[in-house]
Amino acid sequence: MPIFKTPFNGYSVKFSPFFEHRLAVATAQNFGILGNGRIHVLDLAPSPTSHAVTELVAFDTADGVYDLAWSESHDSLLIAAVADGSVKLFDTALPPTQNPLRSFQEHSREVHSVDYNPTRRDSFLTASWDDTIKLWTVDRPTSVRTFKEHAYCVYSAAWNPRHADVFASASGDCTVRIWDVREPGSTMIIPAHEFEILSCDWNKYDECCLATASVDKSIRVWDVRNYRVPLSVLNGHGYAVRKVKFSPFRRSMMVSCSYDMTVCLWDYMVEDALVGRYDHHTEFAVGVDMSVLVEGLLASTGWDEMVYVWQHGTDPRAP
Amino acid sequence: MAMRELVTGGAACAVPGSSSSSNPLGALANALIGSSSKTQGRLNEIPASTSTASEGGQFYSEIDEHLRALPGSKFDQQLLHPNAQGSEFLRGFRSTDQNALAEAWNEVQLQRPPVSPQVDLYGRTSSPQTQPSFDGPPQRVLSSFLHSFVDSSHGGIPFLPTPLPLLGLSEGDKQCIRDRSSIMARHFFADKSEEFINAQVNALLLSLDIDNDVQGKRPLPGRFRELEDYWNESQGVLRHGPHAADGWVAEFSQQRAEPSNPDAWAHSFEQQHGANGWVSEFEQSQLASVDQMRGGSIASLATMEQTRMLAHTLAQNDDPKFQNSKFLQFVSKMSRGELIIDDNQVKPNTLSATGNWATEYQQQYNVTPMWADEFAPPSSKLCVIQLAHGPDRWINEFTTGKEQGSVNDQWVNEFSKLHMNDWVEEFGHQVGEGALGDSSTDWANAYDEFLNEQVSAKQQSDASRGVYIFSDMNPYVGHPNPLKEGQELFRKGLLSEAVLALEAEVLKNPDNAEGWRLLGIAHAENDDDQQAIAAMMRAHEADPTNLEVLLALGVSHTNELEQAAALKYLYGWLRYHPKFGTLAPPELSDSLYYADVARLFNEAAQMSPEDADVHIVLGVLYNLSREYDKAITSFQTALKLKPNDYSLWNKLGATQANSVQSADAIFAYQHALDLKPNYVRAWANMGISYANQGMYEESICYYVRALAMNPKADNAWQYLRISLSCASRSDMLEACDSRNLDVLQKEFPL
Repeated sequence: MPIFKTPFNGYSVKFSPFFEHRLAVATAQNFGILGNGRIHVLDLAPSPTSHAVTELVAFDTADGVYDLAWSESHDSLLIAAVADGSVKLFDTALPPTQNPLRSFQEHSREVHSVDYNPTRRDSFLTASWDDTIKLWTVDRPTSVRTFKEHAYCVYSAAWNPRHADVFASASGDCTVRIWDVREPGSTMIIPAHEFEILSCDWNKYDECCLATASVDKSIRVWDVRNYRVPLSVLNGHGYAVRKVKFSPFRRSMMVSCSYDMTVCLWDYMVEDALVGRYDHHTEFAVGVDMSVLVEGLLASTGWDEMVYVWQHGTDPRAP
Repeated sequence: MAMRELVTGGAACAVPGSSSSSNPLGALANALIGSSSKTQGRLNEIPASTSTASEGGQFYSEIDEHLRALPGSKFDQQLLHPNAQGSEFLRGFRSTDQNALAEAWNEVQLQRPPVSPQVDLYGRTSSPQTQPSFDGPPQRVLSSFLHSFVDSSHGGIPFLPTPLPLLGLSEGDKQCIRDRSSIMARHFFADKSEEFINAQVNALLLSLDIDNDVQGKRPLPGRFRELEDYWNESQGVLRHGPHAADGWVAEFSQQRAEPSNPDAWAHSFEQQHGANGWVSEFEQSQLASVDQMRGGSIASLATMEQTRMLAHTLAQNDDPKFQNSKFLQFVSKMSRGELIIDDNQVKPNTLSATGNWATEYQQQYNVTPMWADEFAPPSSKLCVIQLAHGPDRWINEFTTGKEQGSVNDQWVNEFSKLHMNDWVEEFGHQVGEGALGDSSTDWANAYDEFLNEQVSAKQQSDASRGVYIFSDMNPYVGHPNPLKEGQELFRKGLLSEAVLALEAEVLKNPDNAEGWRLLGIAHAENDDDQQAIAAMMRAHEADPTNLEVLLALGVSHTNELEQAAALKYLYGWLRYHPKFGTLAPPELSDSLYYADVARLFNEAAQMSPEDADVHIVLGVLYNLSREYDKAITSFQTALKLKPNDYSLWNKLGATQANSVQSADAIFAYQHALDLKPNYVRAWANMGISYANQGMYEESICYYVRALAMNPKADNAWQYLRISLSCASRSDMLEACDSRNLDVLQKEFPL
């Protein structure tokens, strides 16, 4: 299956919502602790028998890139979350010399995640270690709103797939908050874990279903209408779970990656929830994504500087 | 149009839609290198983009500001587009940057009439790297100049990394490393308590020796935010709009353009800060620069320290995949000083410790641009002062302790000589009376610390760790009953003698758990934890269920901050305890979590609240999680049950000292010493507590006393040296270095 080696440590990988063969990878030097960053835009060979990966373009940044998101409205636009607190807008159709198109410098600390609104398609969220989440549109030079309630780093913010104004945020303060951008404050606070929560994602088929991933090694699935008890607790990772993502195709499927260096597939509705485990990374696996265009197509990246793309059920390392 | 507006492109300059930038300089740049209209076209394609032409103009100018504000900005790349028409011109200009810089410098120094504004304008335009500084505090203006000069020397590189370490690491980068690795560490250290991690971070801040109270606790500001704020504050009246540094630029230009009003700046400053404002600010900046100098090595020590903790935790994972992890190797190499962070690059450290240090030293102090950079802060201020014919008081203050002569010349000389020693001497004169003390001593200390760090790091990594090292020349070898003799000597408090006797015993009977145990205790009380652990390990091998051995091992590992090991032994204590053994299920011992062990011991304490030992172990556990208040309570409870346990008093004292109650600690140590006058560890601890309170003279006496009883306590020698420096007793440093106890005891009687 396609494999790509990045010069820096991988931090995030995202499939393009427009081209099934395209993906972008966010990387950072020295494990994101100090140094530069680079974004790789990769194209997979169109034929399923060829596993060639070509690099369409790469963009350098002055600090590590922790996350990125494709625009849902324009097929060549990318938003990058940079460790120096900036949010940068790249156009993959333009050479590096003409990028980034814009750079928004508002977060006072590392920006850890970015999520593009899939329904309104005009705005995106950034979550930062400065404890805030910011709402942006690509055409405005400053953020539209800042959401400041979390008491510690916000690691992730994710739009609800149905309600264009609703999103969830996961923080190191051990809570998940649900927000409606039309409301002044958060509408719900879920003390989802006893430990830091590193990631959250909405079920693509159930607007009330939310998954959270925590340093406590577990993934929990919640119904926001009744958040006292999780719908499901998924144990199986041996270290902090870094990212969780619901399948765009199957209601109860999700994928996660962890500091235990594995990528896991889960079906939270069945008893043996752990459907698959891939331990192809040799360092922390910190980025994972599922293609919205090709069912079962997965991509992961990690601090071993590798990017793997594979079909669920096959060996990511298979030549 | 005012100079400031020309330079910065105020609102009045906006030329809607005329170019990608409303900034005239930007327009000029575009004219030189080709307009970025392509970018603009791209942006306009973005659906939902609502900007009108005039808004667009304004908007792009702000975008430009954003771009400029970025370190290693991509803006540079745009300007350096190889096909762009003006790039050749720019390159040509860049190559002369050095001269331009020198001129700028001379100009500032010698108060020459300003060169024509036109040239100045080009100077700024042609050097895009300087642009970030417009949003920054003034000292960045100069340092960015210097950086652009450095960068231009390796032109043609497509990507310019962040201009980084001036001397080692900048404040921002230290902060970066510190914050990021500590936040990430929280994810790896998932099983540790919050207090533990917090304490770790705090310890780190202390070792960084910078603003731990300010920067550590509140949400951390962006890089240079503080300077910026400070500058903004000082600029209050003069500032126009959001561009703090522009104010400075404007003001600076004004001063040059209007020599008729040279005192205005000084006046306005005086109004805001009083006449001494500059003096204090200058001193501060000097102090800061020294901190930064020391920061060079201290930062690397801190990084090492931090990564060592990380490496250690990660290393406890038995998974072969983890053992092969490059990340793990990275952090453990960093923790051993095999990798150094230099100029935004992590480099392998191939030299020996000494050589390496020397190289770093060279790199940091002899490389001209870096050095000059470091001096940007004081010098940039100085130049304003001179232009403004600053208050005489400042000049006087500045020249005290210096020979007669023009301030100007001295500074010029100093800055041009680029010779570290001169500077240190000079600096020593200037700040000698200040809190810093003798800066060269500090250097020596920092160097010593560095070496010690290296040595101990090596020791730690050695497989030999945990191997007991016997004394050669032991008079007790051949003694008929060395154990009895050792016990007797121990009881009398002759610890070093007891150690020898007990060594003779375990050489004779290597399986004698009691011999090893007592030997371990003797070492612990003699303030030698490494040997204590080694001995206790042997005792543990000989008798794995000995409760005293298990407790002692738990305590020793707690002292060494090795949580996992400490937990193992403390849990073992519970497991083999006749009363509490039932509480501890053996299957738990495979994966011990702090919370579980603490819970079990709390249960045990409830089960038999009259058992002093349980409270002691609880106290140790709370030390492990840095919950010192709880630890103190536990030890105090235990002391009510066992008031004559001197080692318990010492534990209480150590805990109090750790929770910054050094005054209380002294009381507790005194108790321990009343019960056991030859308790070397308590003497040394007493010294530490006095030193922590700033009572260095007193601390020296206690260290000397401890050393008189056990000259092998290497830690105490180091503490003594630090106290001697801090108490300005450098006259005794030689005696300390040669370990001449006779001299020291005579000088510092207790």
